[in-house]
Amino acid sequence: MENRRILSAIFGITQGALGVLSAVLAVMLFLNILEVQAVFNVPSELLPLCLLVLVLFSVFSLVSGFFLISERWRQT
Amino acid sequence: MGNERNLGLFSAVMIGLSGAIGFEIFVLLNYAYFDLAGPSMISALLFCGIINLVTMFSYSELSAAIPEVGGEYTYTKVAFGGFISFMAGCLRWLASVFGGALAALVFVNQLGVLFSVFAPSIQDLVLVNAFLLIIGLVVILIILTIRGVQEATTLVVGGFLAIFIIFLAMSVSYTLTPQNIVPVASGNGIVVFFATAAYLFPMFVGMRALVAGAPNIKNPGKNVPRALMITTVLLTVVYLAVAYVAVSVVPVSAGVTGNELPLLNLAASTIMGPIGAILFALAGIFASVSSVGTAMSVQSSILGGMSRDGYLPDALQKVHKRFGTRYIAIIGSSLFVIFFGTSGAVEFLGYAASFGSLLVFALVNMSLIQLRRKMPRLDRPFKAPLYPFTPLAGIVMSVLLLVFPVILRDVNAESALLSSLGMVAIVMVTYYLRMVKREIDFNRLRAAVGGICLGAGIALIVLTPSIAPVSMFIPMVLVGIVSIIAGMLNIVLSARKID
Repeated sequence: MENRRILSAIFGITQGALGVLSAVLAVMLFLNILEVQAVFNVPSELLPLCLLVLVLFSVFSLVSGFFLISERWRQT
Repeated sequence: MGNERNLGLFSAVMIGLSGAIGFEIFVLLNYAYFDLAGPSMISALLFCGIINLVTMFSYSELSAAIPEVGGEYTYTKVAFGGFISFMAGCLRWLASVFGGALAALVFVNQLGVLFSVFAPSIQDLVLVNAFLLIIGLVVILIILTIRGVQEATTLVVGGFLAIFIIFLAMSVSYTLTPQNIVPVASGNGIVVFFATAAYLFPMFVGMRALVAGAPNIKNPGKNVPRALMITTVLLTVVYLAVAYVAVSVVPVSAGVTGNELPLLNLAASTIMGPIGAILFALAGIFASVSSVGTAMSVQSSILGGMSRDGYLPDALQKVHKRFGTRYIAIIGSSLFVIFFGTSGAVEFLGYAASFGSLLVFALVNMSLIQLRRKMPRLDRPFKAPLYPFTPLAGIVMSVLLLVFPVILRDVNAESALLSSLGMVAIVMVTYYLRMVKREIDFNRLRAAVGGICLGAGIALIVLTPSIAPVSMFIPMVLVGIVSIIAGMLNIVLSARKID
């Protein structure tokens, strides 16, 4: 039981961090900070799709990560 | 506190005009004329006026039957309740955020135009520091909005109408050459026509301010529908006349691109000389500042209402002790305005503001149909004519305007539509997260989110070899593995509790 909670917390935090990173990357791509569009070789036609995928991935990762982290509070 | 009904028909028309006549005309005509439709944008403007009129019939019936605060949010809540009203509120808020951001950009552009007349070196300084100017403008307006500073509505409308009338009167001395204002009757011509109409649509939607003011209007059953009709006709005529003169004096074939000066400023300086350029730049500055301020008030009001109904965190309805305004909602919304405003993406923001409003228009028309069926005995001082054709036409035309810019493969429209769809997905998740009250609902939602993460992880691993560069292969696979394990954990842990 304790192992599962620890595992949930680890993957929850990792997934939450990935969600935050995706959101940051989406913002950087949108504003083209540090020329990231060129760095990742994203053509302007595909930019909207990339942004959508990143934003959705970010939201679901954050929510899923939150659920896993909250497993610990819900049990205690 | 009850609302005092002390505004007559004239004031109602002024509210409608002040909401609609704003910064949009200074910015949206530019892209529509130089990049999309050319002179036939005048027909697209007329089409926007017709869609607006059709939907205003629905607004009139709903505002007369339900003269309460909240506008679209209230109508959809009475008609459908729950999720649809939450969606309408969020879309209205989003449209307002995009509109506010666009207004902030117009402020910087018009400031640049003003300085270009007598101090070109300062113009460069303004354009280089657009980022800082937008943040400065929004911060000042946050302070003013929190302090509850009101605008002089009638004065602003009067000023605008006076400037437009002078512009039209002085154009009489010009030979206004009739141009090809009818769209080309070909497949691509029709697509461009609808895309242009979609882009120009935000020029009309501000008229909804009249519906928001309905609780303060005397005899709303009579005055609100009349004011909506009068405002629509007046607005369409003014826009058509101004656009006609502008495209006549600035021919699209003259090698002008609109990059140096926006269409309206260019036309004003051609007809009226430097005074015209200064007058229109000042009008653009006042309009944009006023619009950013209005957008911030509207956003805080929407967020406050949705928070009151339990859809959003309680903090958003916290009122400032001294000024009595919802300061957290104002600051929160303003951050979004700054974020999108500083992006500098004028065309994207134009489409995004339009798409949000078009979806709200479709929902309002759907609400009218639903209420006619659900509450046939509701007291309706005004009834939309030609029912059900008018609300159905409103829905169809709104959807057409949403679809055609994407068919045109306009990258700005695609970005705006995909961003709006992404926002809608976030809205759905937020709603269900907020609304789940029982443990079993929570676990079902958790299982669903886990399934999405599992699917996303598998898709990422499968697609990585074909879409990612070699250097990104290992990080992408690792992200996929984390998503798969996290998804499985969520599914397993929630399934046990559902059982």
